[in-house]
Amino acid sequence: MSSLTAAELALASENCAKEPIHVPGSIQPHGFMLVCDQETREILQVSQNATEWLGIDNGALLGRTLDELIDNAPVAVARMDELVGQENNPFHVADVLFNTGSNTPQTLAMLAHRHDGLLITEFERPVDVESAYSTLYPLIRTYLDDLQVAEDAEHLCRLSVDEVKRISGFGRIKAYRFDAEGNGTVIAECADDDYPRYLGLCFPVSDIPQQARRLYCANRIRVIEDAYYQPSPIVPEINPRTGRPLDMSFAALRSVSPVHLQYMRNMQTRASMSISIVVRGQLWGLISCHDLERRSVGSQTRTACELLGRVLSLQIEAKEANSKTQRLLELRRDIVRMLSAMADVDGVSEGLLSCPQTFVNFVKGTGAAIVTSSRCELVGQTPPAAQVNALVKWLSKRDSSDDVFHSDNIARDIPEVTELSRHAAGVLAVAISEIHSHYLIWFRPEQVRTVNWAGKPEKIVSETGKLHPRHSFDLWQEIVTDYSLPWDPLEIEGAWELRTATLGIVLRKAEELAQLAGELKKSNKELEAFSYSVSHDLRAPLRHIAGYAELLGDFEGSKLSERGMRFLDHIGDSARFAGTLVDNLLSFSQMGRSALRHSDVDLQALVTSIQAEMQPDYEGRRIEWKLDALPVVIADAAFLHLVLRNLLSNAIKYTRGQDPAVIEVGVRENADEVVVFVRDNGVGFDMAYANKLFGVFQRLHRMEEFEGTGIGLASVRRIIERHDGRVWAEGALGEGATFYFSLPKRGYSANNSADIDENADAQTDSPDRG
Amino acid sequence: MLKPILLIEDNPRDLELTLVALERSQLANDVIVLRDGAEALDYLFQRGTYATRADGNPAVLLLDLKLPKVDGLEVLKAVRESNELRSIPIVMLTSSREEPDLQRAYELGVNAYVVKPVEFRDFVAAISELGIFWAVLNEPPPGSLRLQRHRSSGNQTPD
Repeated sequence: MSSLTAAELALASENCAKEPIHVPGSIQPHGFMLVCDQETREILQVSQNATEWLGIDNGALLGRTLDELIDNAPVAVARMDELVGQENNPFHVADVLFNTGSNTPQTLAMLAHRHDGLLITEFERPVDVESAYSTLYPLIRTYLDDLQVAEDAEHLCRLSVDEVKRISGFGRIKAYRFDAEGNGTVIAECADDDYPRYLGLCFPVSDIPQQARRLYCANRIRVIEDAYYQPSPIVPEINPRTGRPLDMSFAALRSVSPVHLQYMRNMQTRASMSISIVVRGQLWGLISCHDLERRSVGSQTRTACELLGRVLSLQIEAKEANSKTQRLLELRRDIVRMLSAMADVDGVSEGLLSCPQTFVNFVKGTGAAIVTSSRCELVGQTPPAAQVNALVKWLSKRDSSDDVFHSDNIARDIPEVTELSRHAAGVLAVAISEIHSHYLIWFRPEQVRTVNWAGKPEKIVSETGKLHPRHSFDLWQEIVTDYSLPWDPLEIEGAWELRTATLGIVLRKAEELAQLAGELKKSNKELEAFSYSVSHDLRAPLRHIAGYAELLGDFEGSKLSERGMRFLDHIGDSARFAGTLVDNLLSFSQMGRSALRHSDVDLQALVTSIQAEMQPDYEGRRIEWKLDALPVVIADAAFLHLVLRNLLSNAIKYTRGQDPAVIEVGVRENADEVVVFVRDNGVGFDMAYANKLFGVFQRLHRMEEFEGTGIGLASVRRIIERHDGRVWAEGALGEGATFYFSLPKRGYSANNSADIDENADAQTDSPDRG
Repeated sequence: MLKPILLIEDNPRDLELTLVALERSQLANDVIVLRDGAEALDYLFQRGTYATRADGNPAVLLLDLKLPKVDGLEVLKAVRESNELRSIPIVMLTSSREEPDLQRAYELGVNAYVVKPVEFRDFVAAISELGIFWAVLNEPPPGSLRLQRHRSSGNQTPD
């Protein structure tokens, strides 16, 4: 014998799992078996030990019918069919007497079941039905009452082991619960003083091979009366009707694997009984009964234990369904809370951030993240943003199109994001956009767990490759690292539900935005129509006033006093000024509406051309120009021209009294923006009014000092803000002024993206502006 | 005999000021005033109340863009689609450069436009220049007037 590598163990386990335990070809000898034709009840196979039980040759049994040997056989079998129906578990049909002629006839308990087209009858020593009934029934009844008040599955199991102990009299009763991998932990135990205890210990999955688990599901009870028994073979080996060895899946006397008998002996167990706990068709656990001594278990007791196992299974199923419903309700309540928060603030991220507790705790995370293309919001205990972003990148690159990803071992499942497992061990992520890499992510920390194994979980393989069960069942501790608590399927489902609802909100929001954009477009059109009528209808009367004033002067001027003529001039001037105001207002409103056409704009060339353009305005004045080397920026050329012309014409206007006037155009650049300034040594302004400078119709000078409509700087601000830049000014009375504007550095495409976060401005620009 | 200038203007103030401007430009042409687009079309196509008017096309159309019933653009379009009328020069009078229909007017083949300036003197100047150009300088030889009218194409008018 040798110690094992994992591969060897796997191979040996596989061999073990291949052992055809449902066709062992023999039975346990505490009873005997007669296998009959279903219809004629002709005996086809017998267990060899029938000879000893009945005192006649096996040869004398084969070929005879059950009816010849047992008086009331037809009645008994009919009774079985009547009571059992289609079920194929062995049923105690009657206590019977064999007419073998030779020996003193003895009464035997007859169990029968149909399987694989055969009638399988098993015979064992009878039990006193009366006493069995009177002891079993009250116990079971009390037990059922107790089950009603049990809180959880473990409590149910504790009650059950106590009850099985009373009914069966075995020395130690354990209830196991299997985990997802199939390892069984002892969650309830009831034992006499001289038995070793296993409560809390874990038995590895390899202790019970797969085919044995399947058999446990089908056949809910199995008894081994004596681990040292000598199996009694079935003869003939091949059943003449089926042409196969006898399938004993449901037989009470089925002989078990020699490996299992060795396992029992290693555990110092002589007799055992296993009762299956089957929940939703899966082997949930086992009630395992051991005794240091050989023990016989009568069919009444077996039936009672099997019934108890079924009741327990149903109770556990109900409890689990109940707690599942509870958890589902909790999850739903949390989802509703989060959704209403999202609805309140009209945004997914903002909504979730407004109820961080619910968001994080909802799936029992310790931290959570909301990742969109522009943001990475972290709540609670999470990896740093860079790691979360790396995780999102990894998630979006997965081949799988699953919208939900979960892992309880990041180190094992996401080795590509190397640092991530230092910060969290479990992750649950759902995509909340069909197109973008937008995710909701929850994290769980590592949960270092100590598993108390009942013996080191490995078997030993002999030279022949056969598996030998371990000899030691002493506590062996294993420290399990890198795992978080596993994600409950309900929580994963909950996260998915949240995702679906969130998608709904995102879609609705997109629709609302589209509608808003439509409305904006409409109101923009209306605004255009309004501007048009302002320009048309407001200009007309102004034109008439100016025209008639002019005509009046022409025709009747000679009759007017000098004063009257002056009044007439003022009427004309005012009308003309009002006309200019209307025109400026119109172009100002146009700045807010027309689409920006970004291109490279050479500021240097722009300033030079404006200087030339304005030449007539400063004809005959001395102006000292200080011009920095100005860069090329990305902006709307026509609008930027307007900005610089406004600023330069102001500088020229307000330095009227200076000789020489000094006008400086400079630039400061940093990583994000270009700042341009226009400085003059003119009349300046009081900083107290600095905030009014850029308002529409805001003027800081009297009309007769400096002419103007008060729209120039408002236009500057509007244009720069549409370029996502800022404007500001510095100055002091009599000491000149400096006007600044900044332009963000960006690519041409910045304004074209139609992300849902983008404001609707870009989409509603009217393309047909002349 | 000079062909008349056709002035189509609904606003009485603008009408008066335009007439003064035409008067000051000292053009010898008669000015025929029509108050909306429908009336203008009746005149041009010699129908309705104008069915019996003397034959002959005007020297130039001074056409306000915004008119009741049938607007200036529709009049422009109808004129440009008619073989008889196609050659008449048309000057659009508009209230503002902002008008989006201006572009459309060019597409339909307007010859010029005048933004009615608030400054009356400018307006007089603009009207005079246009009137002189279209009504006088482009005057076809008097004798050919009626013959020209029956020709199919308007090739005598520079565009």
